Amino acid sequence: MKTSLIKAIELILSADAELLNILSVTAEMSLKSSVLALLIGLPIGIWLGACRFPGRGMVLVVNRTLQGMPPVVCGLLFYMLFSGVGPFRHLKLLFTVKIMVMAQVVLITPIVVNAMESYVAGVAPSVRETARGLGLGGVKTFGLLCNECVYQIISAYLLAFARSIAEVGAVSMVGGAISWKTNVMTTAIMQHTNRGSFSLGIALGLILLTISLIVNTVISLLQRRLSR
Amino acid sequence: MKLSPFTKTYEGRQVLDFPGMELKKGTIYAVIGANGSGKSTFAKIVSGILKADRGGCPVSGGTVGYLPQKHYAFRMTTKANLLLNGKSEARACELMDALQLRHLEAKRADRLSGGETARMALARLMMNRYDLVLLDEPTAAMDMETTLLSEQRIARYVQETGCTLILVTHSLQQARRLAGEVWYFHRGKLLESGAADQVLSHPEQPQTRQFLDFYGI
Repeated sequence: MKTSLIKAIELILSADAELLNILSVTAEMSLKSSVLALLIGLPIGIWLGACRFPGRGMVLVVNRTLQGMPPVVCGLLFYMLFSGVGPFRHLKLLFTVKIMVMAQVVLITPIVVNAMESYVAGVAPSVRETARGLGLGGVKTFGLLCNECVYQIISAYLLAFARSIAEVGAVSMVGGAISWKTNVMTTAIMQHTNRGSFSLGIALGLILLTISLIVNTVISLLQRRLSR
Repeated sequence: MKLSPFTKTYEGRQVLDFPGMELKKGTIYAVIGANGSGKSTFAKIVSGILKADRGGCPVSGGTVGYLPQKHYAFRMTTKANLLLNGKSEARACELMDALQLRHLEAKRADRLSGGETARMALARLMMNRYDLVLLDEPTAAMDMETTLLSEQRIARYVQETGCTLILVTHSLQQARRLAGEVWYFHRGKLLESGAADQVLSHPEQPQTRQFLDFYGI
């Protein structure tokens, strides 16, 4: 255990090539998927929070269901769609970072939608009433609403990023955890642990925990700022 | 300016039945009544925030400004909040001076106290000119000193802009100090209206008398 830990620290300090590749693939997948999820989820979340329409409750239930979807179910769905017998097999996306990003977007967009919807639903009536009372136009009111949500947007993004970087079920199914190609931190930890090679797994685990600590610290600082 | 008649029904129960009214320019109307008498619903419908049962906004022509009961401070400085509703820095400074907000101009408005937020919201509304202004309990969160300051500035605003102002208030003293006319709402109906002195000192309706007696007028 002690030897593995020392080796893990050595791997990090020596900037091991495989470790760097895994970090690079993880960063590419997590950043792309969280940004895409933000771009899709943000307008939907603001719309659901600010507007009242028939069927809104149903949309929220569907979103919450998607938020609770097990990653392996999402992985299975994408595997079936893009494998050799699936309707999208000609795209040849299986076992690529692209399909990992797509699966992640499906998993984390509902998180962004939910985070934005619940916040906007709380703040929108007051913003709308105040802006209308002042006689401000729709565009200016929307701008003010977005300005009120700045910290929540950052918080929603970080939540999505944290979920993306820590996810293992879907990415291992659709990415295949191929070394030097689609292996991300979580799948590499599993792979190396199964092989009995703990040092790289511990090194990745340390990095993952550090990233998680940083993300959560930023989120809690933002939440403290929001609650003031 | 004229307010058309309108009604408002919630879940099959009529909560407001307003008969319509001619409004005089430069006059302050105080809307008084017990909790649940329909004062705030009236203000929300006239301002266009809520829709009446039939038809559009009951105000025919002219611009309407409305200060809701729940004052909201946007996440920016006090001064920036004021400048949302007008470009004149000089006017913003004058209003901040009048309402004792000058020392808070660079402070984030969403971190102001309740009374400070109420004064900021009032100043922000007065940055612009409207034909009709509705204030829903504008001084409820203020202490006596800032209430009187705010009342003075409200009266000056009406003088300088020539607008019509409808003040929803729980304070009969405030109605007496500010209003030219008083409207008494009872269970969603405009029960009595007239000159402030007449309604507050010699009400015709027994319900108005009962209400005024209860509040010690």
